[in-house]
Amino acid sequence: MTRAPVVFVVDDDPSVRSSLKFLLSSVGLQVESFESAETFLQRKAPDAPSCLVLDVRLRGLSGLDFQRELAAREIRIPIVFVTGHGDIPMSVRAMKAGAIEFLTKPYRDQDLLDAVRIALERDRTRREQEKDLTDLQQRFDSLTPREQEVISKVVSGMLNKQIAGELGTAENTVKVHRSRAMEKMNAQSLADLVRMIEKLKGPAEKAS
Amino acid sequence: MSSASTSRANIPLEDSIPEAGASLESVLCTEELRGRPARPPNYEKENRALVVLMSALADSPSTIFQTLAETILDITQCDSAGLSLLTRDGKTPDGCGKRFYWPAIAGMWNPHVGGGTPRNFGPCGDVLDQNRTLLFRHFERRYPYLMPVIPAAEECLLVPFYVAGKAVGTIWGIMHSDRRKFDAEDDRVMASLGKFASSAYQALIHIEDLTFQVSEREKAEADVRELARGLEAKIRRLVEANVVGIVMWNLEGAITGGNEAFLRMVQYDREDLASGRVRWTDLTPAEWRGHDQRAVADLQATGIFQPFEKEYFRKDGNRVPVLLGGALFEKGGNEGVAFVLDLSEQKRAEDALRRSERRWQTAFENSAIGMMMRDCSDRFIASNSVFQNMLGYTESELSQLSNEDVTYQGDRRTNLELIRELLEGRRQHFQIEKRYRRKDGTLLWARNNVALIPGIADAAPFLFAVVEDITQRKQEESARHYSEERHRVVVETASDAVISLDESSAILLANPATTRIFGYDPAELIGKPLTMLMPEFLRKLHEAGFKRYLATGQRHINWQGTELIGLRKNGQEFPVEVSFGELSKDGHRVFTGFIRDISERKQAEEMRKQAQKAIQTMQAELARVSRLTTMGELAASIAHEVNQPLTAVNNNSNACLRLLANQNLQPDVLRRALEEIVADGTRASAIIARIRALIKKAPAEKNSLDVNEVIGEVLAMMGHGFEENRILLQSELAEALPPVLGDRVQLQQVLLNLIMNGVEAMTAIIDRPRLLWVQSRIDESGDVLIAVRDSGTGLGLEADRVFTPFFTTKANGMGMGLSISRSLIEGHGGRLWAAPNSPHGAVFSFTLPIAAGTPS
Repeated sequence: MTRAPVVFVVDDDPSVRSSLKFLLSSVGLQVESFESAETFLQRKAPDAPSCLVLDVRLRGLSGLDFQRELAAREIRIPIVFVTGHGDIPMSVRAMKAGAIEFLTKPYRDQDLLDAVRIALERDRTRREQEKDLTDLQQRFDSLTPREQEVISKVVSGMLNKQIAGELGTAENTVKVHRSRAMEKMNAQSLADLVRMIEKLKGPAEKAS
Repeated sequence: MSSASTSRANIPLEDSIPEAGASLESVLCTEELRGRPARPPNYEKENRALVVLMSALADSPSTIFQTLAETILDITQCDSAGLSLLTRDGKTPDGCGKRFYWPAIAGMWNPHVGGGTPRNFGPCGDVLDQNRTLLFRHFERRYPYLMPVIPAAEECLLVPFYVAGKAVGTIWGIMHSDRRKFDAEDDRVMASLGKFASSAYQALIHIEDLTFQVSEREKAEADVRELARGLEAKIRRLVEANVVGIVMWNLEGAITGGNEAFLRMVQYDREDLASGRVRWTDLTPAEWRGHDQRAVADLQATGIFQPFEKEYFRKDGNRVPVLLGGALFEKGGNEGVAFVLDLSEQKRAEDALRRSERRWQTAFENSAIGMMMRDCSDRFIASNSVFQNMLGYTESELSQLSNEDVTYQGDRRTNLELIRELLEGRRQHFQIEKRYRRKDGTLLWARNNVALIPGIADAAPFLFAVVEDITQRKQEESARHYSEERHRVVVETASDAVISLDESSAILLANPATTRIFGYDPAELIGKPLTMLMPEFLRKLHEAGFKRYLATGQRHINWQGTELIGLRKNGQEFPVEVSFGELSKDGHRVFTGFIRDISERKQAEEMRKQAQKAIQTMQAELARVSRLTTMGELAASIAHEVNQPLTAVNNNSNACLRLLANQNLQPDVLRRALEEIVADGTRASAIIARIRALIKKAPAEKNSLDVNEVIGEVLAMMGHGFEENRILLQSELAEALPPVLGDRVQLQQVLLNLIMNGVEAMTAIIDRPRLLWVQSRIDESGDVLIAVRDSGTGLGLEADRVFTPFFTTKANGMGMGLSISRSLIEGHGGRLWAAPNSPHGAVFSFTLPIAAGTPS
């Protein structure tokens, strides 16, 4: 169950912070504002889709450095950069590092809101995916070792008979494991199951 | 008087008259002689006795007295008979004697031979006193000393006898009992015997004399014979000893004899001699003949010739030097003897001595060092030319002077003291460094070694001195001493610590500065290791490094100044700069360390660094600000600054519109938003106003400024910028410029802008010098004028266009610098303009009115 999305605003200018908060809340978004990257980092990550509206020019850790820092900490929060001034190299760098958008002040309010929306959406999607994966993992973890074994062999295309032969059990036993596992995994079909297992293996496996 | 002597009869002979005793008359009975009947005379017996006596006198005079005594005894038929003779010594007759002695006694009193009586108190004395015969009866009653003479004399008849009219003694007979008494016959006989006694006495004396004379002569003759024999033996001994040559000769020239020594000398043999071929006239070379003749003359005159030197020809024809002396055997005779001494050795020795003397003389004369001799009264006896030249005197002048005369006043006492010690034998020699006063009055330093040469034979002792001129050395010493003194003073007064170390890195010396710097007294440091002056962590390093240096000569630190840490007595560590030196002294290696307390220097350095940093910060700040004024950053800054409130305004406005579109009307919210909009708008305006103010007319701060100071600050901020761009900077700043009223930072900005422009204008110039010239002066209207010239590319035709905003010739430029600068200057009430510089480049000048109230 997803919570309501939160927008985090980091800007050292108080009027900008408050006005931004006002703007975003005017479209019904939750906003939390911070005056510096450090103060933001002190806040715990929320369990809701969120994004970051970040000025490049900050006191202390600059926006771009902050972007790097977040990546280093594996905090995958989407960032919308706004800046009072900016140059092309800066924007390119920010985008390459994964920012959603790079806006210069004064921006069109709609542009900002669009960017925020995209960011939130992305975050939500990510979270869902993560959650799915977590669920999947849980479901998988709930299988008995034998069931896991069976499933992995099923997914690799082996017949029940073959599986039984390898494991040294009866085909029937295999069938029972299989059906029980499919139930637990909530897979509707073999194709489903395959997809699920693929997901669980994750990008590392895919890469190899 | 004389001591008592006893005779064989133990009769004391006393010189003094005893006290007791009967009177003389009581013991005499001489008159009774005539009254007594006389015996008939026995003339025959008497004659016979006399003959015997005479014979005895002739034959054996020495026993005559005994014979006489016996004769008396025989003829008078008494019991004892004898003689008494005057004597001096008690043994021999002497007419002047004071005693009598009995040389002969016959009969019972024979044992008393040798005894006697005193002259002045005794029977014999009485007889001589009375000059007649006396008869005593028991004379011991008067003369108690005769009592012991036993047997006692009943009667004693004494008769004197005379020699040359003088009584010399008595003869006497004694009856020991009264068997018979003496009578007149006895008297007669005794008288006659008395006469014989005289003769006997005289004869005896005479004979004794004779005997003595004879024996004396015989003795003398024997002695002479003995002497002759002895002498002869000795002479023979001498001759045969051949220690000298002995030769016998005659006046004609013959050699009649000679000993081996002589023969060896002349190398002839006995045969030659015996043959008579050897003649002393032939042996003598012609030139010596004169001497020989003189010798012969002496011989003839005195019988001897004194020793003289000559030469003989040897048999082989060589010559031998000799000394000879001799005498004739008999004065007036023809033959004699001579001793001959071979002088060859002596001659050789003499020659050697002469040669040696010559050598010494040469050495003395040719010595490179001064030598001189003086006598014990300090006068110069001799000196070599070196010494004479040293003093500048001639030898004769010196001989008139004493050593003291030429010695420098101040050194005389010491010198005399040492000489005295020498002369008194308290030392053998001495050494002295002293000054002489030369003839020309200048002084000379000399080192003398003086010894006392003792006298030999009749040569007096003298002082011998070797004199070395050490004037140069003394000067060098004094110079070195002075130099050392100077060095010592330097070390003592140095403000750095100067420490001497030995090979074990132990402290030998420390100067006063050490105390000041480290807090230790030098006494606390002597002998201690150098490491006590360094903190713990440096000690091992030092020890290892020092050891390695001693062994290999490699240094572990730079000896010409290394920064280290020192440790004060109070435990404080502080920075020091250390230099080391090494020298070898008496074969030992000595190291000297110079230690400077650089705490203050370090502090100063630190302060300078900080000042530097401050300047750099200021530089950076100003550069940043200057960048602002050249618009690179200013634009961004403006944008950023203004954008903040604008963004806020936008955000708020749009938010409000959305809310309104959603019919989400909350008046409070909207109101607040609008209020914020207003505030942000105002803020934006303020920012712009501020920027405008920054750029425009009114300066932010107005102070009284010294333009030259500002120029100096800007040039300092440029730092190495000119050098890096190879630009020659010249500044010509008028002295005593009146102050202007203005904003320091703004003026700095303008100057920096102009200077940077000038620098950048010359970056492309390679074919001529890049000159940047900054000038300050008072212009005609009394304003302060500053000009910046460059030798760059110049302005082109549009001199004033450069001040238009956005005009730039720089590839990267924004073109705002000069327009801003102009605004700033105009804000100060001045003017900024540009003109071409000749032959190349541009001149940018601006004026500033002087501060009001300043006298112009």
